[in-house]
Amino acid sequence: MTTPPVMRDLARCLLTCEAVASKNSEPVEFVTLRVYEKLRQSLVVFAGVDGFQALAFRALSQAKSEAPGLWAVHMAADGALQGLGEFRPQPVEFEPQPSSDMDKASEEGVILIARLLGLLIIFLGEALTFGLLRNAWPGVTFDDRNSQNGRAS
Amino acid sequence: MSTQDKVTINKLPTGVPGLDEIVGGGLPEFSFNIIAGAPGSGKTTLAHQIVFANASPEHPALYFTVLGESAIKMLRYQQQYTFFDPAKLPGSIHFINLSQIVLEKDLGAVLEEITKEVEKANPAVVVVDSFRTMVRKPKSDMDLQSFILRLALFLASWQATTFLIGEYAEEELRDNPIFTVADGLFWLRQTTERNSIVRKLQIVKLRGQDSVPGLHTFRITDAGVQAFSRTFGLTARKRNPPGDRRLSFGIPELDKMLDGGVREGDSVLVAGSSGTGKSVLATQFIAEGIRQGEPGIVAVFEERPEAYAERATTLGLDLETPQKDGKLTILYLRPLDLSVDETMQSILDAVQKIGAKRLVIDSLAGFEMALSPGFRADFRESLYRMIFALTGIGVTILSTVEVDESFTEFPFSTYSISFLCDDILRLRYVSIDGQLRKIMVVIKMRGGNHAKDIREYEITSKGVVILGKRLTEYQGLISGVPVHSEGSATRKEPSQ
Repeated sequence: MTTPPVMRDLARCLLTCEAVASKNSEPVEFVTLRVYEKLRQSLVVFAGVDGFQALAFRALSQAKSEAPGLWAVHMAADGALQGLGEFRPQPVEFEPQPSSDMDKASEEGVILIARLLGLLIIFLGEALTFGLLRNAWPGVTFDDRNSQNGRAS
Repeated sequence: MSTQDKVTINKLPTGVPGLDEIVGGGLPEFSFNIIAGAPGSGKTTLAHQIVFANASPEHPALYFTVLGESAIKMLRYQQQYTFFDPAKLPGSIHFINLSQIVLEKDLGAVLEEITKEVEKANPAVVVVDSFRTMVRKPKSDMDLQSFILRLALFLASWQATTFLIGEYAEEELRDNPIFTVADGLFWLRQTTERNSIVRKLQIVKLRGQDSVPGLHTFRITDAGVQAFSRTFGLTARKRNPPGDRRLSFGIPELDKMLDGGVREGDSVLVAGSSGTGKSVLATQFIAEGIRQGEPGIVAVFEERPEAYAERATTLGLDLETPQKDGKLTILYLRPLDLSVDETMQSILDAVQKIGAKRLVIDSLAGFEMALSPGFRADFRESLYRMIFALTGIGVTILSTVEVDESFTEFPFSTYSISFLCDDILRLRYVSIDGQLRKIMVVIKMRGGNHAKDIREYEITSKGVVILGKRLTEYQGLISGVPVHSEGSATRKEPSQ
């Protein structure tokens, strides 16, 4: 079971937005964490910590089965992610990160965020999910697409 | 105090068809309300409907969820209703989860959080769902009372209309401070009556305005909650007293028997046993109305509209064209779990939609069977309310009722409703000269000088045809077993 391309595109869009918004060069894991945190903050408001944590835990579990590199990532009781990129060599400032590692980390981030978005669309539907994203990323134009609302992906 | 000195309480729409009428025109602005009832009674759906009807970017709504149903699942299910407009989230409606604070802190912290969010959003409507889970274990009664009072005062002063949702049992109505503080108390019930589920709503309390007392049925459909007022929504409608006009059956001899026809706004009962032509008469009555430019409604319970219209064609009556032209509505009311109020609402909506002047209810027995068992016990009272309401707006009602044929009695109706009807037309079989023939007689006509004649009739391809003149040569016709006036057993044809 792999992440649907539509969800990957959407996740990539969010990660790109965050990467562009950041003025400093930073590891891709940081960007993933920022996207995840924005989603967490938005969702915790109406779903509660437990509600978000349950959903995010499922997303992480799905992502791990698709991207084994995420094996070390775990979730705190408040739904915060821990261990993302911990076991990968940290980039030295001004020194470019090896592209293969960067691509891999980037792909893992895409998968994790895509899985979370996928679950949101399954449970809340496209309209509410995109409403939530527009609220969290006010300046970004999202292209609402026909994604699957069912469990199959 | 003169009227102009009084403060004006604005009324917010409930967004629930029928409920504005029940609450006296709308929800009092800035009121502090409780929506109570058992799980599954429709509390959350009602609250959502109110929120979606009132929330806008300028006047947002805050929907606090506490312990209980997961907010994600709640939104998943609620968005199935047609009133749910996702475009209102999160701009106009903010869902905020308070579970963590409730679990980890005390009521003071909860109040603080609500205060913070209200100050931030400046909402017009606030919902706390479920309030009951929030206050289940206060440290003491004083804690709870103080919390409720402070919450009510704060939200009212912030000009918010508030709804607290709670699972309460009716025994809790006494001695619970929350019910004392509340301006409005909406109680939702769901009861099982034999195999049917009946939902009822009661406005136990509503300060400052005149709500309709009693239990009102409601239904939850794809469109959400729909309420059916016991007054059938007629308090807001202009009463249209009937005139002196006579309405024709399209059967000249029968019109003569009725002193020119049925008086407009009357309730007519056509009673007879199976096969005597009650439905045929009813169809002729409605078809003649349409021919004369009077739109009509036929409420059928025992057969589908298509079958009803098809049967009319065998009498040479076209019910298809007037349906297409919007001059006739044949209502097929879903059997087995209806309330009279629901039926009435459907009929009233149809009356308003096509400006109906004539209504046929075919038949009362079918109507009764279509009702949920709990409503059957109140059928007579419900009929009274229905007939009063409909004739009050100028609709002429013809109801058919099947009566058991007896050769010792001459009953008019099994429902003892003859007192509700202005006019009664009785059809029956008689045994004459080895034939089962049919007679009709006008039993009663309020305010009219109707014929006293007993007339023989037949049902032909043209409908009911009254034969000859009154049957003068037989005695005991209404017994069903007449004898010839001269005591002869031989048949004499009625004079032509």
